[in-house]
Amino acid sequence: MDIQLKKSSIGVKKKSTGDLLYSIKQNLFAYALLLPAFLGMLFIHFIPMINGIRISFLNLNMKTMKQFLNAPFVGLQNYYEVLFNKESLIRTGFWNALRNTGIYTVVVTLCTLGFGLIMAMLVNREFKGKGLVRTALLMPWVVPSYVVGIVWGFLWFQDSGLINVIFHDILHIFPTKPFWLVGRNQIWAIIIPTIWRGLPMSMILMLAGLQSISPDYYEAAEIDGANGWQQFWNITLPLLKPILSINIMFSLINNIYSYNIVSMMFGNGAGIPGDWGDLLMTNIHRNSFQLWQFGPGAAAMVIVMFFVLIIVALWYLFFKEDLVIK
Amino acid sequence: MMGRDGYNSQKSKGKSVGYFASIKRRKKIKDTIANIVLVFLVIFALGPILFMVYGSLVSHDAVAQAKLTWPVRFSNYVEVFQKLPFGTYFRNSLIICFSVMVIALVIATLAGYALARYKFPGSGVFGILVLSTQMLPGMMFLLPLYLQFIRIQERIGIQMTNTLHGIIIIYAAFYVPFSIWIIRGFFASIPGELEEAARIDGCNKFTAFLRVMLPLAVPGIVATAIYIFLMAWDELLFAQVLLQKGDVFTIPVGIRAFIAHTLARYDLLMAAGSVVTIPVLIMFFSMQKKFISGMTAGAVKG
Repeated sequence: MDIQLKKSSIGVKKKSTGDLLYSIKQNLFAYALLLPAFLGMLFIHFIPMINGIRISFLNLNMKTMKQFLNAPFVGLQNYYEVLFNKESLIRTGFWNALRNTGIYTVVVTLCTLGFGLIMAMLVNREFKGKGLVRTALLMPWVVPSYVVGIVWGFLWFQDSGLINVIFHDILHIFPTKPFWLVGRNQIWAIIIPTIWRGLPMSMILMLAGLQSISPDYYEAAEIDGANGWQQFWNITLPLLKPILSINIMFSLINNIYSYNIVSMMFGNGAGIPGDWGDLLMTNIHRNSFQLWQFGPGAAAMVIVMFFVLIIVALWYLFFKEDLVIK
Repeated sequence: MMGRDGYNSQKSKGKSVGYFASIKRRKKIKDTIANIVLVFLVIFALGPILFMVYGSLVSHDAVAQAKLTWPVRFSNYVEVFQKLPFGTYFRNSLIICFSVMVIALVIATLAGYALARYKFPGSGVFGILVLSTQMLPGMMFLLPLYLQFIRIQERIGIQMTNTLHGIIIIYAAFYVPFSIWIIRGFFASIPGELEEAARIDGCNKFTAFLRVMLPLAVPGIVATAIYIFLMAWDELLFAQVLLQKGDVFTIPVGIRAFIAHTLARYDLLMAAGSVVTIPVLIMFFSMQKKFISGMTAGAVKG
């Protein structure tokens, strides 16, 4: 689709300006239809984004807030503050959040897509109560993410949380009751609920992908004597690749920008964000709207956007041939 | 299958019976393992939800210590509406979500139709702009928009922060790009000849769109509507920054403030959590089929 659109616009540009004007006049109706969406994107997306990049070069805080874009220009000082200033708490927090977000995003993406595919394959069989099981597996998606943060916060309590009660008191799998909301385990306390809530959507999309594969392929493979693994690697996975590639993209971006669950669990909820419970968005939110340091906040945001840009570019290189859909 | 069976049984009857029996047994073992895994997955999926519902029916202590108690009580649900202005939060959230849904749908349907039906100078660029907004983080807009809103208040005098219209404008603009993308996919799957036929029968471009093309895209539009509603219902970050006064709080902000400013009552929190899940539950399961087919069609067409 993209490629087609690009080709057509290049084709138009090659014509003379008279033709261009003519074709614009011909399509005034289409432009009128696009106008509201364009204005919305311009004023709520693109102008604020440019302002945000400008703010990252300004000394904008509680005192200079009234001046907005006329606040004193400080060059790259905000970037220095966020990335390198050893005395700055903002720097320590940012690097911790960056590391956590990296781990969080990779683990959540892999698990959501991997387990989502397994779940889709398990549900894509004939068995009694199929509809009921599917509905049950979809349920976590119905719970709003801020409620997920609260409920899982209670499940993680060290002494009386349901997780430790089940795995230590009843099943005796954990030798001691670990602390989930303090220390290193914090990262698992946010990763697992995110996977829990992301699995249903992943399962639905994978199921749609599985059902779009013609059963003829599997029959042919069966006749040729391919076993289950071979069928999975040589038929299922290659044919799912277009859907997988789009899902990987959305999952990566969504999780880098994840906010609700962490904010509810550690913001004012059950625990405090320590070194291992802070993500980029909660970190930047705290710097910007609780410490009122808009400059460093915007600088951190620009750095994150830069990382995302690199990830999108890598993703595009990796999945280029899968993107030509129709 | 039958043919192959017959062929084998003619050739070597004893061997084939054993062979198929072993295949059958292996399939049965596989099925049993799959069923056991499914049971665990269902427990994993439902456990936290059951815990929430259970917690909403017992006392604070029983939630805090994960104890089983009997009998259950329904007073938490009454108390949650008395202790915090939950009715106001609910009303605000519903007003915001439905307004955002209508505004964003109208804008996105028009744009999605234009992108799917017409090729014109700039259509490719616009498509890329739509996709690129999905790569940008909300936080990037939040900071400048917040300051911009304060400036509008000071210069022009229109109250923007702490108002419902302020947040409605932002949400609507925020969910338009992705909606355009889904709806565009739907219009692209409707044959363009239908519109041409309508034009020959005397419709102009707009009435052809309104009377012929729009009704055909209703499934996609319904799916998008549910998507927008659920996203707006789930939004915390913008609401938290732009709504600072109790009378305009949405549910997530209200619940957050409740945790922060009062002694946390876990039973009430669980009751609140159960109550706010219900609208989503109704919305989702009443239109599950439409929603899933709509979302997957949009996603698969990319």
